[in-house]
Amino acid sequence: MKVWLTLWKREVASIFFSPVAYILTTMFLAVMGVGFWSIASYRLTDGATIYEVLRGLYGGVAWFAVLMVIPVLTMRSFADEKRSGTLESLLTAPVTDAEVVLAKYFGLLTVYAVMWMPTLAYILILNHMNDAQANLDTGALSGAYLGIMLIGGFFLSIGLFCSSLTENVIVASITTFAIIGLIFLFGFLPEVSPIPALQNFSKPFSPVLHMLDFARGIVDTRPVVLYVTGTIFMLVTTVSVLDSRRWRS
Amino acid sequence: MIEVEHLTKHYPGVHAVRDVSFSVKTGEVVGFLGPNGAGKSTTMRILAGYISPTGGVVNIGGLDVTRDSLKIRRQLGYLPESCPLYMDMRVKEYLRYRGQLKGIPGRHLKARVERVMAQCGLDEVRRRSIGKLSKGFRQRVGIADALVHDPDLLILDEPTIGLDPNQIVHIRTLIQELAQDHTILLSTHILSEVEATCDRVIVLQQGEIVESAGLDELEARWCKVSNVHVEARCPPEALKELCRGVEGLRDCKVVADDAWSIAELTFARGEDPRETLFQQIREKGWDLRELHREKRSLEEVFVNMTSGNGPMLPVQDPPVQDPPVQDPPVQDPPVQDPPAPMEAAP
Repeated sequence: MKVWLTLWKREVASIFFSPVAYILTTMFLAVMGVGFWSIASYRLTDGATIYEVLRGLYGGVAWFAVLMVIPVLTMRSFADEKRSGTLESLLTAPVTDAEVVLAKYFGLLTVYAVMWMPTLAYILILNHMNDAQANLDTGALSGAYLGIMLIGGFFLSIGLFCSSLTENVIVASITTFAIIGLIFLFGFLPEVSPIPALQNFSKPFSPVLHMLDFARGIVDTRPVVLYVTGTIFMLVTTVSVLDSRRWRS
Repeated sequence: MIEVEHLTKHYPGVHAVRDVSFSVKTGEVVGFLGPNGAGKSTTMRILAGYISPTGGVVNIGGLDVTRDSLKIRRQLGYLPESCPLYMDMRVKEYLRYRGQLKGIPGRHLKARVERVMAQCGLDEVRRRSIGKLSKGFRQRVGIADALVHDPDLLILDEPTIGLDPNQIVHIRTLIQELAQDHTILLSTHILSEVEATCDRVIVLQQGEIVESAGLDELEARWCKVSNVHVEARCPPEALKELCRGVEGLRDCKVVADDAWSIAELTFARGEDPRETLFQQIREKGWDLRELHREKRSLEEVFVNMTSGNGPMLPVQDPPVQDPPVQDPPVQDPPVQDPPAPMEAAP
């Protein structure tokens, strides 16, 4: 556990000591900020409810931010260590491959969570604008952030996996973007597919619908289980990829 | 300390290491020598637990390298080839991080880090970022990292590659100091390094061990001739005539240098005609200003072993310690013929 904490600290530090984290956070907050501003100013003056604003923000705008941030955040984790050779010194220290993968994953998750923190300010602003209405629904809010962390966590594990496959950070980020982009687009199938069977099949797997539910405060255990097992699966796969160095060329 | 038996590593289409067996005793300093691509790094990576062997058994300190890798790694300091470091960290910070990773208890960590920084001469750069250090300092940080948890065994993959001569001397001195209380396996293709630091050398060529011996033994086995240098005050023809009379001579070149004659004589390996030469020159009453047998450098030995397409077979005849006085005459040196290149295929 102590070794794990050391690895985790190093992971978080390595991300925050690089300029990438700051550029990324700035862009992320810019997208979220503009999104929040447009939704809040237009929809609230339309007389839309606070729920609609939350759904627009966390079920809509958040996607752009997530799809943009995660490939860049995860691309360096293994690819860069492979390229510079530090993976060899890391994995010849008395640590297991699983410890390294978990430390890297939770390091990414920590940074991802920290990036989202400033968006909590939006709630204070909403509260201030809405003092006439009922107080903000904490259920809906925690649902929204739970969804952000669950889906984001799953996507981060995909990014980590892609990074473990290559020495090239650009390849890692593009692959991650392609995969999570496809998953996101797959989420529209229940709405756009002309085939009813496909609509029904894709509905339980649609992250877009899940996020809209979460942002309403509906926490269904099925998507929770889906994302948690998805994440575990990707992490186990990443450990296997790392282990494959032993027998591959 | 290290026992390697029939170690084999295949990559698709390549035999990186094939059927390599050797052992390293506690306290020994052993050099891995070989041209690029000979399998040095692959073998070291297997020892360090980074990759697994395709076949064979590797034991370090009585533990199996695939089953007890974690335990072994706690007792082993490994410097990978090209010395990878985190360029964004500072020297002290990096060594602390590595120390924690290698399980040094918190109360000893500070002292250990200070100790290795002093040992490796890193005190002046402790607060510098690794990315801004010169190659020589980075190499020392790499060695300090390998040392930080006070391992019994050090595996250093090309510790002096890419350094300037001054830096090489520094690293070499450091390795000599470390050799006093560590078992060290280092790889290099710089031969003088092996001569300067190692007790024993293992020569790899195309994934196979060509030679494993102490330095003297190696020289004895691989130097097929012994060269004697004579400088005497006499006409060149006279010196040539005299040398021809010495038993075991294979080649003789004499040049004049004013009143002096300088002879380069080649004798069959194991011959030491210095005494005979001295006596005969004294009988003639010539002045003698130089008479010595040239020591073959390991460099020549190495070129002999690894030149051409494949390794060369060593000459299988008695060792140098007991020179047979009645060796075959000049005309027929059959054993010392150029050895046949060994086939690369197993």
